[in-house]
Amino acid sequence: MYDSIIPTADTIPVHWLWFQVLLIITFFIHMILMNFLLGGSLLTVWDILTGKLETRASGSIPTLVALTVNFGIPPLLFIQVLYGHLFYSSSVMLAVPWILVIPILILAYYGAYLFVRKSGSAPLFSKVALVFTSLSLLFVAFMLVNNNTLAIRPERWGIYLNNPGGWNLNLGEPTLLPRYLHFVVAALGIGALGRAIAYRYSKMDAGEKEGQIRRNLKLFGWITIIQLAVGTWFFLTMPETVWRTFMGGSLGATALMVAGWLLALLILHSTFTGRFAPAMILGGLEVLVMVIVRDLARSAYLKEIFHPSQLENVNQQSPLYVFLLVFVVGLFALYYMIRLMFNAKTSRS
Amino acid sequence: MNYPVWYLPQLGGGLLIAVIAILHVVISHLAVGGGLFLVVTERQAVKTKNSALLEYVKKHTWFFLLLTMVFGGISGVGIWFIISLVNPAATSSLIHNFVFGWAIEWVFFIAEIVSLLIYHYRFGKMDSRSHMILGWLYFIFAWLSLFIINGILGFMLTPGKWIETGNFWNGFFNPSFLPSLIFRTSISLIFAGVFGLVTGAWLKDKVMRRSVFRLCAGWIYIPLVILVLTGIYYTQVISAESFENLFHFNRESSPFITLIIVSSILLFGLGLFTLVRMSQPLQKTGAILLVVICFGWMAGFEYMREIARKPFVIYGYMYSTGIKSSQMESINSEGFLAQAKWTRIKEVSEENLPEAGAEIFRLQCMICHTVDGYNDVRSKTGQLTERGLEAWLTGMGKVNSYMPPFAGTDIEKRAVAAYIYRVLQGKSTTSPKVQEAISFPLEIPPFNPDTSEYVLLAWNDLGMHCLSDNDKYFCFLPPANTLNAQLFRRGPLPELVNSGVTMEYAVEEGFQHPEKHSLFWKYDQEIFGVDLPEGTGLAGKGVNGTMDAKGNLYEAKFIPVMPYMDNWTFNPYPQFTITARDGSTGEVLAMTKVIAPTSTELGCRNCHEGGWRWNDVAGLADETAINILKVHDRYNGTTLLQDAEDGKPGLCQSCHADPALNAAGKPGVLNFSSAMHGFHANYLSGMDQDACNMCHPSNPDGSTMCFRGRHSEIGVGCTECHGTIEDHALGLLANQADIKEAARLSRGLEPVYAFTKEEIKPRVPWVMEPDCQSCHTNFNISEDGFSGTAFNLWVPGLEALYRSRTDNHGVMCMACHGSTHAIYGARNRYGLQRDNQQPLQYQGLAGTIGTHDNCMVCHTIDMSASGHHRNMLNRDPLPVLVE
Repeated sequence: MYDSIIPTADTIPVHWLWFQVLLIITFFIHMILMNFLLGGSLLTVWDILTGKLETRASGSIPTLVALTVNFGIPPLLFIQVLYGHLFYSSSVMLAVPWILVIPILILAYYGAYLFVRKSGSAPLFSKVALVFTSLSLLFVAFMLVNNNTLAIRPERWGIYLNNPGGWNLNLGEPTLLPRYLHFVVAALGIGALGRAIAYRYSKMDAGEKEGQIRRNLKLFGWITIIQLAVGTWFFLTMPETVWRTFMGGSLGATALMVAGWLLALLILHSTFTGRFAPAMILGGLEVLVMVIVRDLARSAYLKEIFHPSQLENVNQQSPLYVFLLVFVVGLFALYYMIRLMFNAKTSRS
Repeated sequence: MNYPVWYLPQLGGGLLIAVIAILHVVISHLAVGGGLFLVVTERQAVKTKNSALLEYVKKHTWFFLLLTMVFGGISGVGIWFIISLVNPAATSSLIHNFVFGWAIEWVFFIAEIVSLLIYHYRFGKMDSRSHMILGWLYFIFAWLSLFIINGILGFMLTPGKWIETGNFWNGFFNPSFLPSLIFRTSISLIFAGVFGLVTGAWLKDKVMRRSVFRLCAGWIYIPLVILVLTGIYYTQVISAESFENLFHFNRESSPFITLIIVSSILLFGLGLFTLVRMSQPLQKTGAILLVVICFGWMAGFEYMREIARKPFVIYGYMYSTGIKSSQMESINSEGFLAQAKWTRIKEVSEENLPEAGAEIFRLQCMICHTVDGYNDVRSKTGQLTERGLEAWLTGMGKVNSYMPPFAGTDIEKRAVAAYIYRVLQGKSTTSPKVQEAISFPLEIPPFNPDTSEYVLLAWNDLGMHCLSDNDKYFCFLPPANTLNAQLFRRGPLPELVNSGVTMEYAVEEGFQHPEKHSLFWKYDQEIFGVDLPEGTGLAGKGVNGTMDAKGNLYEAKFIPVMPYMDNWTFNPYPQFTITARDGSTGEVLAMTKVIAPTSTELGCRNCHEGGWRWNDVAGLADETAINILKVHDRYNGTTLLQDAEDGKPGLCQSCHADPALNAAGKPGVLNFSSAMHGFHANYLSGMDQDACNMCHPSNPDGSTMCFRGRHSEIGVGCTECHGTIEDHALGLLANQADIKEAARLSRGLEPVYAFTKEEIKPRVPWVMEPDCQSCHTNFNISEDGFSGTAFNLWVPGLEALYRSRTDNHGVMCMACHGSTHAIYGARNRYGLQRDNQQPLQYQGLAGTIGTHDNCMVCHTIDMSASGHHRNMLNRDPLPVLVE
């Protein structure tokens, strides 16, 4: 149907499922980190605005930026392998705001460091820096959501003709706002969970620690209620062919969607009852389930158009094996380094 | 064509990639070298128990982290973003081939980040040994990430065996992998030293500052030797074509080569200040300055690497346009727009030429060119006509091999030419004005077959002599028409009269003062090094005079007749009256008329914008001449335009040897014919005879129509004897294979009248010419069972040239058969029989002298044997030209 505009895809070196699985796993990790980062920043901003600033969890914001960006790279790599012919096209259409993600992200990152470093010496400047960083991250998130949405909607690619200079924002996409809000609200929720985790492993005194953990878990709970509403709104703005997939159209997809709902209810229970460990596990599971649901939704959108199984496999496995080997070595190196950090004597001598 | 194009008419995507990439690459090299710098300096500090130095390392770590992890890291992603936007086809190709390379690199990234974060945050809070282990781990992982990206980057320039095998490892460990890796490692260490100065300059303690500066100096200068050596090694592994384009041919590289040389001198020259005592403000300034120079240095180097890779984005595999070399054939036959995905126009027609051209330009050209900004097309195309632009696109990528070939059909080419000419240049094409064909009346001189004692035959030696006619800017053909004559005393055995005769020649009215219509005499000193009297030619002859006896004929060399009549009519066929007088008595023995064909209808203006110089109908306009010289200067690094504007125009043959002008030229420079045909053949390919008509005054719709003889009449065209311009050029260039430009010019040419290039004989111009006997093996009218062309079957020597040959008795071939290109009966635009006056005078038939077995013209009796050459008699009547 869209043969005249969907570019021809290139070949892949190994079976597409490798990339599919790696995409899910790495995107999941990226989402967790991103939620901690974005949610954590926004919640901290909220605390600033309501006069309740706590610096304990927020000292890690710059490190979170580093890790979130780093874990954004593998999913970006793998979607280009599987969906590159779609993704590059949508990127070009949104070229100007898309490329602005880079300088804005750099400034956001520096803003995070300014927030931490100047919190003592220039508190107002430090707070403004965090606000700036949060707004920047909101923009980055918006563009990522936007681009990934446009990529799977070739029927909207006519916007290119409106402005081939890349000054497009795809605001006419009906799912854009609810989808974006769904991600931001998720970030707030998991961000609150993240703060609870940070408190749990901090060196605060037990009473205050417990209070903070409960507070953040409750926050996670309330946000989950809002998320249920936003999620439903988002669900209903999707084309019928897509939401029908999750309403009996596909058994697996429906089961996962139901699981997602159930997990949300369980989260409500554990957060409002202050159960930290279940909340943490359920939160993680919920993100994983939603990541897979997102992927299934993408497939549903592209049903008549494209599926990664259609990519031609040229069967060159040795680079994959080398990667897996390097990955294992890398894991050992990380383990070793972190262990070194904990076990090393705490002074120079 | 596969992907939508990000339309950036002013900025251009290439510039954006350059800005992001150069910023990233400087910082990322620092990230590698700086890692080693940190841990080695820490080790030194710990060993010497130097706490001030350790404090410096700690400060520098923080600076380093802020710069490399934040800016360096995100800008790396920035490169990824921008290349996907500007050249998605190439990016997709790289991603799909090297995904696991990047996945491996990512593992190194995460290890780098974790190690650096711990190294920084636990500085002073860990034992030295553990801390330094982390420092070493950081450096190792940083260098390994360089190792990976270096492989992919090198692949783009020198894919090596990957082109055949498609194998990841062949592509990764490619020919430039090793030199590039060592080169970049050296840069990393040097940059580490430079950036180390920045933190060092801000130290409060003077002694510490000096000591740090000395330390950094070591890092800056010690790797320099390796840098230079591997740099040289690097230039040796790129393809010969890349090397040639980068360092000699592609003018785009000049400013960047200058940049890297100047930056190197500044960096390593100014860097010496690190060893000199100076105040802190100066040290701070110096440090910052060196950092800025690093960016300049990197800009120079990376641009050079990019330029070396042109016209490809993946060398030998995918052009910068995103089109694969393997796709070219199908695109050229089916059409670019037919295959392109993101186009509003699918088919090109005469009606939508500029619009279709705009689409093609956007999809194919804008990857490198803007309309008005960096590397803009508007300023590059002002010197060509619309037809010239079409020709330029035909030749694109052949001579200027740093550009890709045009991908599309002929009409698509014309569409782009129309877009550039009519829309971007805002011009419109008008047909060149043509001189109205005037049938000048002829007065055939008298001849009585019963009583006339002599037959006087005369001819021009070439059938056409052209003039370049813009001596203000250059000259390659002066006014120099040569007439020959032979005088026969009639009788059963006619006698060739060689002596005792004064052979006079005189031009007709209206052509008496060529000096009024030409700048030749104004510039003869500069161009030819002689100061000629006005109206006198290079051999001392005027338009009227006496011919010289020379062997078996009479010759008047280099008569400076011009095709410009005093009444402003263009007439390329001025008529001369030849009078043979008795040398002692002055009595007129014979008289005849001959045409000295001479034209200034040079076709340069068909492509080089300008027009006609003389009366809007002929000659080379100043604008055309300027545009020609501009191209020459740009491609060859000459200053011909400036020289001409300083009043010193040159003779092309002062550099380009030419047997026609007896010019030796300069060593190492192609001869004139090789250069002209060799160069232009690339732009006028696939045109058969139309290519000849583009430049030579043989255009059937032009003012001259110089190819006008018997062969033209029966449809034997230029190419049947000379080959197409491609064949013509290949022969000439084959003879100059020792000159490196010959390879550049012949590479893009395909033979037409030969199966392979090797079949084409190396050819000397003006000497190795078509041999009439290739077809007329036995002197019959039509081929003696020979079918094919006379191309590549050249005369065995100078004496066998048609204009030099005689029959068995010393009668010049041309005397009876007429001039080259105007074999009797020729058809002339300025009077049908203008060329045939001698046949009409002597036998009343416009054909070969003696046609129809009429030997009596000279012999006064019938002859029964073919005396002059075989097969003269008793055959079907030869064709003649009848009014």
